[in-house]
Amino acid sequence: MSTETHTDGTRDGHDEITFEDVDWEEFDGGLEWTRTRVAAYLTMGGIALAWLLDSLYGSRRDPLVDYQFGPVEFAPNPGNVEWLFTLTLAVLFFYCLVPLYQNPRRTKHYWKEFKKNKAAVASLVFLVFIFLVAVFGPFIVGRPELDLANAYQPPVFYSYVPGLEGGTWEHPFGTMQSGEDILQTVVIGARVSMMVGLIGCLMIVVLASAVGTTAAYFGGLVDEVLMRFVDIMLTFPTFFLILFVVYLYGGDLFTIILILGLTTWTATSRLVRSEALQRNEEQYIDAAKNVGASERWIITRHLVPNVSNTIITAATLAIPSLILYEAVLAFLGFGDPNVWSWGRVISEGRGDLQNAWWIATIPGVFLFLTVLAFNFLGDALRDALDPRHE
Amino acid sequence: MKAYIAKRIAWTFFATWVTLTITFLLLDFSPISAAGAEFVDQQVQQGMDADEARELYQEQLGHGDTAWERYTNFMVGLATFDWGWSSMYSQPVVDVIANSWIYSFQYVFPATVLSVILGFAIGLYSATHQYTKEDYAATLFAFTGISLPNFWFAIMLILIFATMLGWLPTYYSTDVALLSLENAKQLILPVIVLSTAAIASEMRYARAESLEYVHAEFVKTARAKGLSENQVTIRHIFRPAMVPLITILVGDILGLLFAGGYVIEVIFQIPGLGLVSYEAIIQQDTPLVLATVLIPVFIAIIGNLVQDICYTILDPRIDFGDR
Repeated sequence: MSTETHTDGTRDGHDEITFEDVDWEEFDGGLEWTRTRVAAYLTMGGIALAWLLDSLYGSRRDPLVDYQFGPVEFAPNPGNVEWLFTLTLAVLFFYCLVPLYQNPRRTKHYWKEFKKNKAAVASLVFLVFIFLVAVFGPFIVGRPELDLANAYQPPVFYSYVPGLEGGTWEHPFGTMQSGEDILQTVVIGARVSMMVGLIGCLMIVVLASAVGTTAAYFGGLVDEVLMRFVDIMLTFPTFFLILFVVYLYGGDLFTIILILGLTTWTATSRLVRSEALQRNEEQYIDAAKNVGASERWIITRHLVPNVSNTIITAATLAIPSLILYEAVLAFLGFGDPNVWSWGRVISEGRGDLQNAWWIATIPGVFLFLTVLAFNFLGDALRDALDPRHE
Repeated sequence: MKAYIAKRIAWTFFATWVTLTITFLLLDFSPISAAGAEFVDQQVQQGMDADEARELYQEQLGHGDTAWERYTNFMVGLATFDWGWSSMYSQPVVDVIANSWIYSFQYVFPATVLSVILGFAIGLYSATHQYTKEDYAATLFAFTGISLPNFWFAIMLILIFATMLGWLPTYYSTDVALLSLENAKQLILPVIVLSTAAIASEMRYARAESLEYVHAEFVKTARAKGLSENQVTIRHIFRPAMVPLITILVGDILGLLFAGGYVIEVIFQIPGLGLVSYEAIIQQDTPLVLATVLIPVFIAIIGNLVQDICYTILDPRIDFGDR
């Protein structure tokens, strides 16, 4: 992290500051205003503000802008989920990619450890591909539309009866019972899965690290109450908790993502707590306490960064289950009826196994591969980031 | 140890109470739990007599005008097994549950036994043969198993074995007797789907736990004094590894089996608790939804209690302060 500060323009450099000069009160309250941090806050604040303005004044029908680049149409009309997804992407960029770029030595070390696991590298490549498809795909291939004239088109290289005309490149993955192109539904499904996985993961990171480190740092009654609550939440079988809450409050994708995030953070927070308890005993925490750092400062600057490896690993390993939960909900028909999730396409293809196997099969392959890739990735991250883990 | 067990049981009651209170709050704040007047209005609109509707409302679990009244009714109703009236089945909820649990049990039980035996066995083998071809194959299987979406796997098996090959029936039929070959045949696919995920996650845990003891000093000693490989594996590796493995049995595996069973029952149309719950959600039969959600919760709570008590008996070093 760079040491540039621009809190005070008149002070040139910081070589004249001695230990006694530092006003700990002031230093304690504020944050170091590095360039990246300012950029991060401005971006995230901007997105949050735009979201607020859009939900207050934006009309529901009209897109924000409408550009046409040849076959590609860019006409975003973001709903709540899209805004939250943009915010998540900004967080991912500023707190994951930027630090990696700024610490090339550490990045190289992690990469060296990570590279040993061939399956994980392949998974990473696949996930980057799915991620790009999720972010840009819908603008390129378009959204699935009702097209009754083209129902039950088989995928390319397959025909109902050998010799008969088979599928065409117009619908490379075939079409569904009401003519929606499966390639388009797969692309939209990738977007939905990525949204669920990444937004949910961010929620888990925030909630689990807040609760886990708070419990570990304060101990005593705070710890007891928080962790007992987590215990009780953990006894509740997650799937049924999600099902019940979705039944009571569910509906659109935004609510479902919130529900998924709010119900799955407990296991991670317990892990974070036990890790933070060990860190809490270390000397740098005592040192920080002795120079008079506040509790908030110690938690945010010393505890959270030092348990971040555990948090990241646990959150990555939570992504596959989030994606699967959403897919199951969509499959059962409790998902958002306006969203083409992979689970929903599979459920629509269930009744057509006799004559159109591809409807249920193709989105399922993508769902399976994505979940598998996240599992491999999480496992490799644990090996690379956590030196104590075998 | 007696004090510990007593404390643990007291905690179970407290946890149950908190869980039920949270459930009640979730229910009471939701748009679905219509308070008395609204409920009656709704029924009247659907063509029911007003008195009849009021009577029906009195049979709902947790009826009442104020939140406190609803809460006490809810708690007392649950404690006295008066779980409300299912409008979908026109039966008390408890009866619906009593009629359907056997259909769930008949395939969840074999799947559990199968997954525990196979999962532990493969995990143990994997750990004692670390970094061999078999170990890699087992790890690959484990990753596949935990990543396969249950519902998609079930559909693919139906596609291959029922639709294409025609060996097994596509749907579950209640016409055959429970203890017959026909019934066993139509349960093959559900058991395979359900146990695959469970085997995969159990063997991963079993492998990780066993690995802790494979290179332990006492295992070397056991080998040095001339015990056979099998004896070393079973008495000196599996035995200590089993203690923490019991923990995941209840927490993870029960959840996995119940959640998997839910989807499987919907796909194969097995009229067990999962299908009942699914239909109750579709029909908005709230008392039945609540009951079918609470049953896994109760089983999980009791399972956790039994697991913790087993844990102390197997490993007396543990006490309530440790988490």
